[in-house]
Amino acid sequence: MWYKRTIPLIVVLVAGLLGFAHEYVPHPISAEFREEMTTGFRIIGGFGLFIGAYSLLHMHVSRIRKRNPGWAYSAFVFVGAAAMIFLGLYNDGSGPLVDPDPGELTGLGWGYDYILVPCNATIFSLLAFLMASAAFRTFRVRNFSAALLLGAAVVVMFGRVPISEAVGEFLFGPDARQVFPKAAQMLMDYPNLAAKRGILLGVSLGAIAQSLRILFGIERSYMGGGD
Amino acid sequence: MAVPLAELRRLAIVKHVIYLLVAAAVAVPLIAHLLPGEFEPTPNARKLFDRVEALKPGTRVLISLDFDPGSEAELLPMGMAILQHCFQRGLVPLVMTNYPSGVDLARKIVEDAIDKSEEYLGKDLVSGADYAFLGFRPGDVNLLLGMGENLKGAFQTDYYGKPTANMKALAGIRSLKDFELVIDISSSAWVELWIVYGADRFGFDYGAGVTAVMGPDMYPFIQAGQIVGLLDGLRGAADYEKLLAQKGRGMFGMTAQSAAHVLVILLVLAANARFIFRRVTGKEEA
Repeated sequence: MWYKRTIPLIVVLVAGLLGFAHEYVPHPISAEFREEMTTGFRIIGGFGLFIGAYSLLHMHVSRIRKRNPGWAYSAFVFVGAAAMIFLGLYNDGSGPLVDPDPGELTGLGWGYDYILVPCNATIFSLLAFLMASAAFRTFRVRNFSAALLLGAAVVVMFGRVPISEAVGEFLFGPDARQVFPKAAQMLMDYPNLAAKRGILLGVSLGAIAQSLRILFGIERSYMGGGD
Repeated sequence: MAVPLAELRRLAIVKHVIYLLVAAAVAVPLIAHLLPGEFEPTPNARKLFDRVEALKPGTRVLISLDFDPGSEAELLPMGMAILQHCFQRGLVPLVMTNYPSGVDLARKIVEDAIDKSEEYLGKDLVSGADYAFLGFRPGDVNLLLGMGENLKGAFQTDYYGKPTANMKALAGIRSLKDFELVIDISSSAWVELWIVYGADRFGFDYGAGVTAVMGPDMYPFIQAGQIVGLLDGLRGAADYEKLLAQKGRGMFGMTAQSAAHVLVILLVLAANARFIFRRVTGKEEA
């Protein structure tokens, strides 16, 4: 079993230590090593792309075969992918691997500008509706912590939009235009900052610990087999 | 405990009413092209504006547009405003993206900013001289590290296929170390990558523009001085446009955002008023 366990562990240790060391060695050989590693990452990325595409298409083929609810949407994945691949390869008659003229809108560019961009924007904009509805249905002052969270959320949401300055002036006079924006900024600068820094340090220390565990073979779950 | 049918029906109706209210709050100001009233730009936006303002004409500024169409509404106006500011100040922006799905969007932003700036400046801006659009290269972190060693090696040609070796726009630039300022407009973890593998390592000042939801995560970096200025959501774009004395998509979005925020606050307060009333009258459990 040494070739299934020991060799991968040695490869991980050597590659990890080299990857770590070249960060601190300002030598041409170190730079060259990084270039080679970069090429290697790109090759692995290519395989990753292939696996990703295969996994996506396999999942949708399976949905269509089993006639799962919404299987027609899966069929549309193939239609969309085939159409964009065809437009890319056809390239307005120039064929693949030929750069279009600058400023010229190709069929693929048209698909990007007038299908992908609006579709992506639409999906993202639906968040506003879902968030408003979810906030209305679930945001309740059930205890002190919830009340604190609600208060902070209201101050930040209100203080972040320009209308808060007019409301501040209307309520407290012309010198108080900045009362809501400043309150919101204060919440962001102190409690938010403290919490975010704590999370950031915790995550970073955890990542370092996990990297060391992998490097020294303590954590082996990436090799499979449930170790 | 099963929810009574009448309650489910009430919730369904309420949900649709909320959807209609949100649609009206967002659509009406945008369709009517309503501008917000007077407002003060946020300190973080002002810091970034002042940093760009402090650069001498002719300085090269690297701008990375790391987002795709999903974040276009928030981040496109930031990219436009910063690019226009660079052109107005006579700086030479070098634009790139780390998003393969964002290349066309980045190109569109560059071309639109050039059109508007040519109108403002009354002269043509030349690709490869007054600016360069470098496009996308794969490599992620390794690309950044490669740019730190040899930028023209990492981008041997620009987006249009012109060699960068003797390009006027890149004159005097060998690596990331030669930049005074790099700005990243991002909807992802690229901000942290630019800090760790770019700014901290190669010593340039770093400004960022991020989606509103990412904004709070950036505050530790601002306090530590690792980010010299921040544009935070659509408000950040509006702040930058305000500082530039322009009325772009950021400014026009502010009225809609004000209306949507106020609506959500009112909805939450109304729901809580009902909740408290029902608790007091014993109709709702704690």
